[in-house]
Amino acid sequence: MNAVLQAHALGKSYGQRQALTDCTLEIPLGHVVGLVGPNGAGKTTLLKIACGMLAPTTGRIEVLGEPPAAGPAQLARVGYVAQDTPTYASLSVADHLKLGAKLNPRWDANLARARIDQLDLDPRQRAGKLSGGQRAQLALTVAVAKRPELLILDEPVASLDPLARRDFLRHLMESVAENDTSVILSSHLVSDLERVCDYLIVLVASRVLLTGETEDLLAQHHRIVCSRRQATDLPPELDVIWAEHTDRQSTFIVRSQTEVPAGYWSAQHLELEDLVLAYMESAADRGRRPTTHPTGDAR
Amino acid sequence: MIWLTWRQFRVQALTALAILAAAAICLLVTGLRMHHTYAADLATCTPRHDCSDALSAFGKSYSSAFNLTELLVIAAPGLIGIFWGAPLIGRELETGTNQLAWTQSVTRSRWLAVKLAGVGIASIATAAVLSYLLTWWAGPLDQINGNRFAAMTFSSRDIVPLAYAVFAFALGTTAGLLLRRTLPAMAVTLAVFVGIQILVPTLIRPNLLPSTTVTFPVNKTTASQATGIYTSGGGAEIYIAGLPVPPGAWVISAPPVEDSSGQAVAAYNHLNCFPGTSGPPTKGTGIDVDQTAACLAAYHLHQSVTYQPARYYWPLQWYETGIFLALAGALSCISFWWIRRRRT
Repeated sequence: MNAVLQAHALGKSYGQRQALTDCTLEIPLGHVVGLVGPNGAGKTTLLKIACGMLAPTTGRIEVLGEPPAAGPAQLARVGYVAQDTPTYASLSVADHLKLGAKLNPRWDANLARARIDQLDLDPRQRAGKLSGGQRAQLALTVAVAKRPELLILDEPVASLDPLARRDFLRHLMESVAENDTSVILSSHLVSDLERVCDYLIVLVASRVLLTGETEDLLAQHHRIVCSRRQATDLPPELDVIWAEHTDRQSTFIVRSQTEVPAGYWSAQHLELEDLVLAYMESAADRGRRPTTHPTGDAR
Repeated sequence: MIWLTWRQFRVQALTALAILAAAAICLLVTGLRMHHTYAADLATCTPRHDCSDALSAFGKSYSSAFNLTELLVIAAPGLIGIFWGAPLIGRELETGTNQLAWTQSVTRSRWLAVKLAGVGIASIATAAVLSYLLTWWAGPLDQINGNRFAAMTFSSRDIVPLAYAVFAFALGTTAGLLLRRTLPAMAVTLAVFVGIQILVPTLIRPNLLPSTTVTFPVNKTTASQATGIYTSGGGAEIYIAGLPVPPGAWVISAPPVEDSSGQAVAAYNHLNCFPGTSGPPTKGTGIDVDQTAACLAAYHLHQSVTYQPARYYWPLQWYETGIFLALAGALSCISFWWIRRRRT
């Protein structure tokens, strides 16, 4: 077992609406995984299934080699911070730590206390009176002090201001590095994930479009600018993800397993954000014009 | 998990404890005085001295306190369902904190089990204390009233309030789980609980055990045992009041006087038997019982009375307790099934 998460043909529908479609994934151990996609793409659904909050409609999933929430032992190995970082408003910060201590066999009380001190949180403060950033930190503390092997965070920084965002991610990275934890965190902003993730999953309109180690993905993708031509004119080993044409020139974003050969074009590497946007845009185009361009004008 | 359940329930528990303590002190103080007065009043009863006036005056002086206390004991299970049951899971789902609770190293079945057991036991204890207090406090008044089967009396004494509390709690919890909101769950709990409290005494309780029906022919002998004859419905029906049923029995139904074919007999068809009245006689007119009965005897009429004998009091208490406990069990099973299968 060297995958944190293995999903096969995973699907979830709410009545007519399909929230997750045919998701097959294998995430290796020891990564900080960024799950990116536009709002409503199904990120939360996938993460909720992974931590056992939701049961999938179809397909199979194993997290750390067991079905999610299979029992207390499996639950103990996975930490989860839900969207909007819910905490008990009437319970104090200290109560939350006690809650964690009572409910988790591997609870690290020293770690929890150290984090609360470091964050300068008053243990007697009620969670309902904390700011959004402090609440997110408290929820993260409870999840981290559980000493999980996998930490799942759903849009943990969405409600935070840029400063709190940076703080949160820095704290997250520190504790992950100390404890050698695998992490999956989602965001609709690539910029949030860029600095921290070394593995990427792009989820658009309920489907997984791209997975892989960030480094590999960046190495494989290029932007090609050339005089105006059709995508079909490019060498077949270049997989065209996205294309844009002006009167005189064409811009393609292509994926290639090997180095892009020299040719009648200029090729550059991409920023992670541009890479993800290319996938999102081409998926959106396919969604908009499904009949006239079955594969989109990107191909 | 026990700690968390207690920590979340603490405020509600202490509130309930304060109310219980206040009620207990009030009932103890007034109850001790009442028991003393009652004993003194009873002491005046001798074969030569009729004490019924003293006793009824005694009963009257406590009647408002009596009604209020009875109401409290009947309302308590409903309040438990609304304020303890409905928010128990409903609020967690509403605020999303279930996502925090369910991803600790405790399965959600265990989470639910501890919550149900903890707060459920508190519900039983609360109802038990209230019911015991009222049953003791109202002892003398129940003796005077003599009817342990009156809807309010039966529902607020001995063991049934405990079962109502468990049921109302399970109802509130399940409603909160299914509706995922506290306020609608509270409303549904209130509506269903009130509905059941009306339905059970009127439709279910009388039919739990086979009742006894006695039929009295309308004649002079019967009339001599009765307290009066009266008519109602503008003379469309005739009733004989105070027919001899066993003491303490619960009269479930006493239909009007019927003829041999089972048809209700109208008084205005037998005006000759109701002398001194012009037109259909109405209730309260001074009808001479013996004479009227003797006159009506010629028509072969009868009146029947259906009742549950007094010895069915405890069997009925147990039956009803069993039914409500079974309902509570079924609701809890639904909750467990839902939380495990449907995964919110």
